[in-house]
Amino acid sequence: MKLQSIIKKYLLLLFLVFSVVFLSGCWDRNEVNDLALIMAAGFDKKSDNTIELSVLLYIPKGGGNQQDMNSAGGGGYETMVRSAAGITVADAMARLQEKLPRQIFWGHTDIFLFNEKLAKEGIFEHVDFIMRHPQLRERAQIFVSKQPAKEVLSLMPPLERDLSEVLRELGEHEIGMSITTKELAQMLISDSGDCALPWIQILPPDDKNKPKRTIAYITGTAVFKKDKMIGKIDDMLTRGILWIRDEIRLAVVTVKLPQTKGYISVNLSQAHSKLVPTIENGKWKITLKSETYSDIVQNSTHLNVSDPAVVKSLERQIEQVINNRIELARKKVQKEMKADILGFADAFHRYYPKVWNKEKKRWEEIFPDVEVKYETKCKIRRQGLHS
Amino acid sequence: MIKKDSLSIDLAENIKVLESIYADCSDVIFRHFSIGNRIKAILIYIEGMSDMEEMDKNVLTPLMLREIGRQFDIQTILEKNLAVSAVKEVSTFKDVTNEVSSGNPVVLINHQSQGVSVGFAKSEKRSIQEPTSESVVRGPRDGFIETLSTNIVLLRQKIKSTDLKTKSIQIGRYSQTKVVIMYIEGLADHALIQEVENRLNRIDIDGVLESGYIEEFIKDHPYSPFPQILNTERPDVTAASLLEGNVVILTDGTPFVLIAPTTFYSLLQSAEDYYGGFIIGTFLRWLRYAFLLVALLLPSVYVAILTYHQEMVPTSLLISVAKSREQIPFPALVEALLMEGSFEALREAGIRLPKNIGSAISIVGALVIGQAAVSAGLVSAPMVMVVAITGIASFMIPRYSAAITLRILRFPIMFLAGTLGLVGIMLGILTIIVHMCTIRSFGVPYLQPLAPIRNTELKDSIIRAPWWSLKNRPHWTSDYNKVRQPNGQKPSPSKGKE
Amino acid sequence: MLERGKISPVQMALFMNPAISATALLLVPSITAKHAHQDLWLSPIWASFIGYFIVFVSYQLNKLFPNQTIIEYSQQIVGKFFGKIIGVILLLFYLHITGVIVREYGEFVSGASLFHTPMAVIIGTMVLVCSLAVRGGIEVIGRAGEIIVPVVLLLYVIIFILLIKDLEIKNMFPIMEKGITPSLMGSVSPQSWFSEFILISFLLPYVTDRKRGMKWGMISVFSVTVLLVLTNIMDLLLFGNMTASLTYPVMVAARYISIADFLEHLESIVMAIWISGTFIKITVFYYAITLGTAQLLKLSDFRPLILPIGFLILLFGLWSSNNLEELSLFLGTSGAIYILSIQIIIPVFLLLTGFIRNKVQQGKGNNENEAPVNH
Repeated sequence: MKLQSIIKKYLLLLFLVFSVVFLSGCWDRNEVNDLALIMAAGFDKKSDNTIELSVLLYIPKGGGNQQDMNSAGGGGYETMVRSAAGITVADAMARLQEKLPRQIFWGHTDIFLFNEKLAKEGIFEHVDFIMRHPQLRERAQIFVSKQPAKEVLSLMPPLERDLSEVLRELGEHEIGMSITTKELAQMLISDSGDCALPWIQILPPDDKNKPKRTIAYITGTAVFKKDKMIGKIDDMLTRGILWIRDEIRLAVVTVKLPQTKGYISVNLSQAHSKLVPTIENGKWKITLKSETYSDIVQNSTHLNVSDPAVVKSLERQIEQVINNRIELARKKVQKEMKADILGFADAFHRYYPKVWNKEKKRWEEIFPDVEVKYETKCKIRRQGLHS
Repeated sequence: MIKKDSLSIDLAENIKVLESIYADCSDVIFRHFSIGNRIKAILIYIEGMSDMEEMDKNVLTPLMLREIGRQFDIQTILEKNLAVSAVKEVSTFKDVTNEVSSGNPVVLINHQSQGVSVGFAKSEKRSIQEPTSESVVRGPRDGFIETLSTNIVLLRQKIKSTDLKTKSIQIGRYSQTKVVIMYIEGLADHALIQEVENRLNRIDIDGVLESGYIEEFIKDHPYSPFPQILNTERPDVTAASLLEGNVVILTDGTPFVLIAPTTFYSLLQSAEDYYGGFIIGTFLRWLRYAFLLVALLLPSVYVAILTYHQEMVPTSLLISVAKSREQIPFPALVEALLMEGSFEALREAGIRLPKNIGSAISIVGALVIGQAAVSAGLVSAPMVMVVAITGIASFMIPRYSAAITLRILRFPIMFLAGTLGLVGIMLGILTIIVHMCTIRSFGVPYLQPLAPIRNTELKDSIIRAPWWSLKNRPHWTSDYNKVRQPNGQKPSPSKGKE
Repeated sequence: MLERGKISPVQMALFMNPAISATALLLVPSITAKHAHQDLWLSPIWASFIGYFIVFVSYQLNKLFPNQTIIEYSQQIVGKFFGKIIGVILLLFYLHITGVIVREYGEFVSGASLFHTPMAVIIGTMVLVCSLAVRGGIEVIGRAGEIIVPVVLLLYVIIFILLIKDLEIKNMFPIMEKGITPSLMGSVSPQSWFSEFILISFLLPYVTDRKRGMKWGMISVFSVTVLLVLTNIMDLLLFGNMTASLTYPVMVAARYISIADFLEHLESIVMAIWISGTFIKITVFYYAITLGTAQLLKLSDFRPLILPIGFLILLFGLWSSNNLEELSLFLGTSGAIYILSIQIIIPVFLLLTGFIRNKVQQGKGNNENEAPVNH
């Protein structure tokens, strides 16, 4: 029984110690009012060995009273851009914190921008920072911008909350390339190490007097050899790349059948593609097998699209158009840029691990000469509601 | 001092002793009279506790007006003279005082070593009303009242079997409160009955004014905030637990009866779960379980997320919260404590306020204070919402004693959330779980049937299985009587005429 | 008997699962990925054989000495002096390992959310909560396991389901690119986790039904295997070759979840789940040390030891390493060998010696009083 009372005393003592600790504690407490919420961040090249980090900050304006609404020009809240230069991103961030009264908070950063100039010198070290930081989201999207990132971030989109929201929504449409930090990191350590990022530029504003009231939008793809940007391809070619990467989700294909006037447009509802590599007598070949299901959305010809024979020929025609699109993109990337953003290296690695391990040092030489064949299948499933 | 000695033959001596016992008791009346004009007798009663009109008509009149023979004793009087059914012979002073105190007038007769107590006790009784602390939409509307005998009657009316046993004991040196243990022979475990009796007999206290006194004396874990004995004022709930093999303790003077043993999940049950169909019952139970967590954790989670894990909130929601918090001078933890504190105060005040204005004031007060505090920039609107939802959630717990436990536990968890974020909340929850695993109520693990798992009882705790599938009684009923009902009672549509 | 409580075999199987897997889920994927690359999901399967073997060994030992723990029967088998030495070695080892476990917990919590909170507070609060459970004895641990483990597993499966749309099967190929060796190499570190199943030799004397105890022990090993394989597959299909470079792949995976722009950033939920798993793990180890020490010192009650041992665990936790990298390196290399050797060699040695002694005694047909005495 004596023991019991000793234990009770111990417990009481422990309780006291802990309550003192707790009451004096709160080491990691951060009130929302003390945080600088960063919605997007951009990286520019400042001088030879410094980079500039610009961040898009959200300014919480108390309440929703009328005057604020007017001055903010519609949104009811405001954003601002701050930037600081440093040797590395982390260094720049420390400089940036000096200029901000509130604690920088990366937990809601959805967008990262790299300026073209910076991208051409390599992005690996910056991606490393993004992946390493415990607050940063692996699902944040990465873009390469034609204009300086700082300039892009300071745009005031008329429709959305701010630029980060615009780019995030555009990215989610998956019309162009859409790459998250996780995917970028995966590409950088993949077998080829080449990567691709969506390319954005500023949409010319409607009203010349308000140059800031516009958005940036995706106009193509920046192609990287390892982590250095070597060029860009346009919208149309990007879609060809998406076919090969099995990333196409939304597309409208318009075809003209021989001996008819007018066009037929179909909407892809499902599309899958697969790379099947073969190595025969030292010749490296790849077959792109793709399968699509589509719905007819517009028919300006006089053809009866419910006739199976017409549908057959239409399907063949669509296959042809798709193949042409892919071929154009492939040629540009494989032959001219010689950057393996198509995933060929991974495909060979998976199918021929032994050969691959022997030859992987020579991949740079092999890649431009890989032969590509197409096996495209198109099925039309619905003719629309009106026929 | 109460003498245990038996009555003497001499009436005068008896009167002397009784008068000394009842010295300075102006409400105790000694009425001297003589039977048949010859034999001295005395009637002792407490003013106002007995029905004197009946007494005059049925006791005094026949005794005083009767011619009486030489040979006469108590037995003949009882057989021939008193047309009263509730009579009892008393032979000691203790008996006399007991009877008088409980309102039964006692007649003592000269030369007789026994007296007669007449059951004309008249107690002030409240009529049977719907219980206010546990109201239901569907179900019986009667509730226990302060009178023990009525409460036993209410239970007898529901369970008519002769196996329904009652054992009576007196607790309280001065209050001498009657406490009755009720159980069903053959369903309740004998060891359990014995344990309850032992624990009750151990109590030595001045007075028992409410069953809460008893509860604190017979709890397994006196320092635990969790109620380990269920209290209810509903006869149907009590009858149901009798049928499950529980022991019920009724206390005179309070409508709240105690039910033992109790598990945690039975605190989360409402009588209505069993009346409204099993699908509805299951749904309501799940709703209750979910809001149990809300009542316990919501303010803490809000504080933790807002001060430690801001990345968890969707961006647009965080922006609007940030906007509303911009002018608040307090940290989120202080804000939450302030609001929760004042909400609890309002609730307590609402009970103390006069009935007819209480509810109006508490609602208006909450609204007005909340609204004013938000527009004055003292608290943020989301916090007011959090507090309101928490308040509603805590009202969803059917037992007041369980709800108040959760309300109390909310505060330490809020502190933990304010110092360690979600980690702190988890540590708080783990502590509570460990504590609940430690508790036993009269030998039954508190978290049964979840821990330890009892498959047959899970049917009536996680879900509410249909009546025809609840074939077994809970395991604490005595071992030889486990089966509640036979198989094959599941109804199916009749074929009808083809 | 120091411990009067009893647990059912199912209860034991339930709480042994997080007692092994809690920390493994966090660290094993990235440690195995370093060796096994895309075959990392095979490694736990190889490693699980150690688990089955250990459960078998402790069951056999328990059959020889039904009412004793390893601390008690080691004195029966190799004599008082050497038995005590084995006991001391085991207890010091578990003290160290528990220190490492609480440090893993501390590193994870401080690396994932509480960056500035002192390590002593993070570890100390956890040890304090665990001490409450240890105080309650084995019954309370068993019941707490029954409440916590199903919830933890359910939430874990939900996280897996939420990730399905982001998984890419192609990351799995080529299977066994360099033969079986990389995956075997990768299995060394999970083996050290599976060898921790020797803890059931502390628990078996208190299990109500020993025969089913063995069966459920095996089921527990199997469930841990399934859990680890699932985790590894999830990380592999989500991150591919990146898995090795992430410190806590499961955590990042939870952060990657995004459903309808609302269910995002669930890493704090993962942390919360994981804390309750680790709580069970630490409690089981803590309990084994406390019980073992009391048995070694022949005390009548183990409760007075709880707080002093808790304090030691806290100290071992603070001193066991300087940072996460050191800890991860230790668990991936020398630590694995160290843990494996103690947890396998000692029980196997005891079993063989005990078996031979038993045979010899039966041959002589005497000395019945040498049979285990109930303490």
